[in-house]
Amino acid sequence: MALLKVNNVAKSFDGSPVLNGVSLSVEQGDVIAIIGPSGGGKTTFLRCLNFLETADQGTMKFDGKSYDMAHMSSKEINEVRRHTGFVFQNYNLFRNKTALQNVTEGLIVARKMNKEQAEEIGMRMLEKVGMADRANHYPSQMSGGQQQRTAIARALAQSPKIIYFDEPTSALDPELIGEVLSVMRDLANEGMTMIVVTHELEFAKQVSSKTIFLEGGVIVEEGPSKEFFAHPERPRTREFLRLEETRF
Amino acid sequence: MSQNILQLLLDSFWKILLPGITVTIPLTVISFSLAMVIAIITAMIQYAKIPVLRQLARFYIWVIRGTPLLVQLYVVFFGLPSIGIRVAAFPSAVTVFAINEGAYCAETMRAAIESVPAGQMEAGYCVGMNYLQIMRRIVLPQAFRTAFPPLFNSLIGMVKDTSLAANITVAEMFFATQRIAGRTYQFMALYLELALIYLIFSTVLTRLQALGEKRLNSYGGNKN
Ligand SMILES: Nc1ncnc2c1ncn2[C@@H]1O[C@H](COP(=O)(O)OP(=O)(O)OP(=O)(O)O)[C@@H](O)[C@H]1O
Ligand SMILES: [Mg+2]
Repeated sequence: MALLKVNNVAKSFDGSPVLNGVSLSVEQGDVIAIIGPSGGGKTTFLRCLNFLETADQGTMKFDGKSYDMAHMSSKEINEVRRHTGFVFQNYNLFRNKTALQNVTEGLIVARKMNKEQAEEIGMRMLEKVGMADRANHYPSQMSGGQQQRTAIARALAQSPKIIYFDEPTSALDPELIGEVLSVMRDLANEGMTMIVVTHELEFAKQVSSKTIFLEGGVIVEEGPSKEFFAHPERPRTREFLRLEETRF
Repeated sequence: MSQNILQLLLDSFWKILLPGITVTIPLTVISFSLAMVIAIITAMIQYAKIPVLRQLARFYIWVIRGTPLLVQLYVVFFGLPSIGIRVAAFPSAVTVFAINEGAYCAETMRAAIESVPAGQMEAGYCVGMNYLQIMRRIVLPQAFRTAFPPLFNSLIGMVKDTSLAANITVAEMFFATQRIAGRTYQFMALYLELALIYLIFSTVLTRLQALGEKRLNSYGGNKN
């Protein structure tokens, strides 16, 4: 049975449609890459999945429970968020907290975990992303790559069943992209279920199990990543892939 | 003659400073603390866009900022008794200063809260925190950091504004100086002396502000 299944998600802003019925099924351990041109609705789709944005329409089945995405109670929202992690393009680390505090904050405040236990988990997560030696640094004292790895540790600490990544490397200097991608690659190898919006086609090709091409609020093409990149079917997909490759 | 003035200044120094310590400072501290409570609540009501309360908050700020502090003092101390509400001078002053300063600081706080990026709130939601938890632990501490210098400005302004309370018989520094001057007719010397004491108070506060800002910036401030 699928871990996450969303059906027919629609969303418009001020009357202009941004998502026009997007459906997706995610199995345990899947790594789904979402690619597509700017303004195609990728961010909006991820935000709807975690209810940072309320979809106008759509159903969700997550972890065995069904939800009406347009009418979620705050209890239901918490239920879903409790088992999901979210990694933002611009990190969004709490600026008044150290790396370790960023990771433990949700555990202590939202899950009422005691401080010692939370810090033990926090240090373990920071270690996992190679940030243990920077545990007491504030975000303003970290590079972009270090901030993003800390943000990943923060998401991991929630012991999520799935993590959403919204262009996790787009705000990074080129030389810092590798360290973040390598953390994500490790997670994928450990079997973490992830949905990754990305412009890193190489990463999508190598790491993801399935790739989705989203444009104009609809899925233009999707398929197992190997086939998707080797034999894209739609002319529009081919054009997009060609353009992306010649960007560099 | 100048010998006499010098003696007068020395004698009066403590007579002015004493009410400064026993009245001006408590009046400032109590009023400003209450003003901060009012400011935070008023700012949060506006930020959270709570209907009705939000309109009330705007109305409160509109009225208070649009009328003179001195007139507000008169309304409470001399006006209210005529409708049967009699409040002693000191609590009247505290009430007016708190309500007045609260309106100005509310605007400072609102701007500071709005300057915290929306992503901070969203990140909080994503780790399971609720609105009030995120406000208290993430957004307000950052907002305070931004608001600290302007709030401290308001505090320094308030120390000086407390002199207006003399008009409603609060025996603070200005009131004390007026009485000595009325007896001795040394207006120039005494009011300059009073000005100097206010300047000392402000200077101490300015120092405190610098220390406070240094502490707050120890982790590099609010930059990303
Ligand atoms: N809060 C909002 N209010 C109004 N319009 C919005 C809002 N958020 C997104 N949009 C619009 O929705 C469309 C899709 O935006 P979205 O951010 O989901 O695209 P994207 O695929 O993530 O693009 P990019 O690759 O540039 O990040 C855009 O036209 C955008 O302007
Ligand atoms: Mg986006």
